[in-house]
Amino acid sequence: MLSVVAASKNSSIMFKNYLKIAWRNLLKNKGYTLINVGGLALGMAVTLIIGLWIQDELSYNSYFKNKEKIAQIFQSQTFNGETGTGPAIPRPLEKALRDGYSDNFEHLIMCSWTNDHYLKYGEKSISRPGNYMQRVGPELFNLEIIKGERDGLREINSIMLSESTANALFGSEDPIGKTIKVSNEHDMNVSAVYKDIPFNNSFNDTEFIIPWEKYLANNEWIRNAEDQWGNNSFQMFVQIVDNTTMAGVTNKIKDVKKTLNENSAEFNPQIFLFPMEDWHLRGSFENGKQVGGRIKYVWLFGIIGAFVLLLACINFMNLSTARSEKRAKEVGIRKSIGSQKGQLVYQFLSESFLVVLFAFVLALVMVLLSLNGFNELSRKEISFPWANGKFWLVSLGFILFTSLLAGSYPALYLSSFRPVDVLKGSFKAGKYAGLPRKILVVLQFTVSVAFIIGTVIVMQQINYAKNRPVGYDKEGLIQIPTFSQDFEGKYDLMRSEFIGSGAVVEMSTSSSPTTQIWSNRSGFTWEGKPEGFQEDLAWTEVSPEYAKSLNLKIVEGRDFSREYATDSLGVLINETAKKYLGMPDPVGKLLKDDDEEDPGPPLKIIGVVQDMITQSPYEPVKQGIYVYDRFNNGSYYNLRLNPDQSAGQNLAVVERVFKEHFPDIPFEYEFVDSQYGEKFASEERIGTLSGVFTALAILISCLGLFGLTSFVAEQRKKEIGVRKVLGASIFNVWNMLSKDFLKLVIISCFIAVPIAYFIMNGWLQEYPYRVVLKWWIFALAMLGALGVTLLTVSFQAIKAAKANPVKSLRTE
Amino acid sequence: MLLQLKNIFKWVNSGGQRIFLLKDINLEVEEGEFISVMGPSGSGKSTLLNVIGMLDTFDEGEYNFLDESVHTLKEKHRSNLYKEYIGFVFQSYHLLDDLTVQENLEMPLLYKKFKGSERKAMVADMLDRFNIVGKKDLFPAQLSGGQQQLVGVARALIANPKLILADEPTGNLNSQQSEEIMQLFKKLNKEEGVTIIQVTHSEKNAAYGSRIINLLDGRKV
Ligand SMILES: Nc1ncnc2c1ncn2[C@@H]1O[C@H](COP(=O)(O)OP(=O)(O)OP(=O)(O)O)[C@@H](O)[C@H]1O
Ligand SMILES: [Mg+2]
Repeated sequence: MLSVVAASKNSSIMFKNYLKIAWRNLLKNKGYTLINVGGLALGMAVTLIIGLWIQDELSYNSYFKNKEKIAQIFQSQTFNGETGTGPAIPRPLEKALRDGYSDNFEHLIMCSWTNDHYLKYGEKSISRPGNYMQRVGPELFNLEIIKGERDGLREINSIMLSESTANALFGSEDPIGKTIKVSNEHDMNVSAVYKDIPFNNSFNDTEFIIPWEKYLANNEWIRNAEDQWGNNSFQMFVQIVDNTTMAGVTNKIKDVKKTLNENSAEFNPQIFLFPMEDWHLRGSFENGKQVGGRIKYVWLFGIIGAFVLLLACINFMNLSTARSEKRAKEVGIRKSIGSQKGQLVYQFLSESFLVVLFAFVLALVMVLLSLNGFNELSRKEISFPWANGKFWLVSLGFILFTSLLAGSYPALYLSSFRPVDVLKGSFKAGKYAGLPRKILVVLQFTVSVAFIIGTVIVMQQINYAKNRPVGYDKEGLIQIPTFSQDFEGKYDLMRSEFIGSGAVVEMSTSSSPTTQIWSNRSGFTWEGKPEGFQEDLAWTEVSPEYAKSLNLKIVEGRDFSREYATDSLGVLINETAKKYLGMPDPVGKLLKDDDEEDPGPPLKIIGVVQDMITQSPYEPVKQGIYVYDRFNNGSYYNLRLNPDQSAGQNLAVVERVFKEHFPDIPFEYEFVDSQYGEKFASEERIGTLSGVFTALAILISCLGLFGLTSFVAEQRKKEIGVRKVLGASIFNVWNMLSKDFLKLVIISCFIAVPIAYFIMNGWLQEYPYRVVLKWWIFALAMLGALGVTLLTVSFQAIKAAKANPVKSLRTE
Repeated sequence: MLLQLKNIFKWVNSGGQRIFLLKDINLEVEEGEFISVMGPSGSGKSTLLNVIGMLDTFDEGEYNFLDESVHTLKEKHRSNLYKEYIGFVFQSYHLLDDLTVQENLEMPLLYKKFKGSERKAMVADMLDRFNIVGKKDLFPAQLSGGQQQLVGVARALIANPKLILADEPTGNLNSQQSEEIMQLFKKLNKEEGVTIIQVTHSEKNAAYGSRIINLLDGRKV
């Protein structure tokens, strides 16, 4: 017992002793320390920040306490052999689930989509996104009520507000019980204020909640949808009871629609629970199967982080073993005065622990300094988890892990020297570790070159898609949302007002934004339609000036014209639709409604417009039709600004005109080209981030190479001196020192290229519209890597080559 | 008997040829002896000393140290054995550059797991005996060669070894410094009964010893 105490006390003294020696060593070799600590710190900072990012991704929606019990109801349907999956469900499903399966659900709510609405209190008018929900919604989502009552949706005319929305409307006033106007129409009483739903949450957008009953009361079409199985326009969320599983419940309800609605059976509708835990990271479906989603980026960045850390650790290993000659004597002496191998391993690991500890502190500083920038790049709101005990525990583990990763190999290598070998003085340790060191350098540069290639290809793909013709002129085009009743019947007036003001040259309305498809239709017949063909057409309702305002080219037939009254039943189709419908000569053809009971009037094709990209810029354009907006279904004004004036001037005028007519509605607009740019946001973020990480990976690798060259130059100082005395030129010496490293980097390139090609080619397959991989991308990446290596190595090599030989010989 | 070498051979293979570094060495050393090993450069003196010190292995023969047969011991046992009983003194001192004099002296005690208070006392005693108290906080680079070798001897002695192996301990010293070290060895040998085996090129130094072993081409002559 006593001896155990003594031993542990002794080992702690040893540890202190080791740290002391390590500390002196670090101080003595400042350049080496700087490279080692700096490189490790960079690597650890990258890993830390990626770790924070991953943690943020994984904790998405963790705000909801019942996360693992909550699900959204999803539906898969099959058209023409292709299965589509999505959250849109029909209203009668609610009754079906409540009637037949209620014992599976703790809660079940119907919910609207999240839409912008105008909220007005006194003179203050703002536009905010929000939802209609059934009464238990706030309970199911566990909203944190700050003021008012949790059961805030009991009264049909009540509204619950998020804290920031309440602040925006009421300032310091108490909002509870006050009446606000929603959509400039409905008086609603504020019943509760809930804490803002955090940024990394699916409901982050929900700034207010209104009772579902109000949604029904306001909209006839929704009331009518009560027993329309084909009207998939709603959302449903459930919380399952404790003793069930998601899969179990899914198994029970999957065929409920098919069974209750025989008409739908031909599309094989499958109803299932999509667990909240999967919403964010595993939300992609392909042909009815869940195929991952964002989780691939979590993996991608996880792998990048691991590699960057590995690169940094390789630096440490290489520099340690390169310096082994200096340490070899120490090892020999220590062994001859009684140290065991294990004790030396322990000593060297203590040293790497110390270095890693410093590097970690430095990495923390780097993370703190770059977190804001990183948040902006990655569109996150990650804050540094100072107060989180778990974070520090994980950090400690991280430090230990890194110490072991970086320190194990050098520790084992250094401690294995035999005292006779090293004490004789003829020892040249460096050369024994030569091969592993070369392999590690090759590994480093393989990773770096692969990173370069990957980043270049991602950027290329983005540019390629960006340069793809969109089909219309998105420059100088703005969109104004027109969601409320106030806009009804005002289109013609507003058009003449806007154009009359001189700021706008053409204007139209449309039922969906230019850059999106909001509605798809089926149920048509036409001449030559194949038997059993289940069509699916993008459906946009537009005013007659749509094509003109967008500068969308008519390629066949003619545009809408107000001069022909019959155009109100006319449609324009796009080029893809022409092929899709199988009409070589579409103008004049009819699209008939195939509803047997109450068919609408047939639509006549009057022209074909050029394809325009409304969805993903990486995918083919979807077949679509543009129908004359007979029912005032416009959701946006599309304004073509006057190109002869500055955008600022135009906007000022547009706002003034807008305010004259809609004083109660906040003036909101968006440039179509920036909205279009959003389509690249996700890829661009990935591109920028991997660009940054690549740059850091290269920096770290070069730092290591820099250290190695300076070391080799130092080691061969005497040799270089002798050679120079014998007549070697600076070039000869430079060549001698650089050649070895260049060779390694070239080998790396040849390993990296096929790997990068394989991976990136796979990545590109996801995009139907994709760049062709060209050989020069790879050549460029190789040249880049070689150039950087050459620079790094040459700096030291030339310095060594220029040194006065007499000096270096005399000091030996 | 402290140690006994019987028919020790050591060789290396080079270019298909076997080059003998030690050839048929027989040697018995009693406790309390002071032996000098002599011979021309390259004759195998250091090699012999390393074999005796168990820092190096041999290829044939028997080696008994305090009645343990070294040639049958595992590496770990062997190193425990020399740690316990043998102190080394090197021609080029081989002090740890990053440690002060005091810390250099303390190091073997740490490895041998002495308690803190004991260590302090033993280090203080050594500093005192070698008259280097004033230098205890200096680093090796701040000492003269002779002073460094004093520290080297002190370090070899600090854990009370039975045997001191010294490979040209005065090779880097001037004659006055050599004299001091030799006097010290003589005193240790006489007064404390420490067994000493030293390698030397100098007849004068060899004369301090009680017995001289001559080597030529790895053979005892
Ligand atoms: N690992 C080895 N491989 C080949 N030859 C070796 C090896 N180690 C030692 N030798 C040779 O063995 C011989 C004896 O070496 P040793 O160091 O024992 O000589 P020495 O008597 O101590 O000489 P000096 O007085 O110069 O120190 C030398 O010729 C040396 O070259
Ligand atoms: Mg020798």
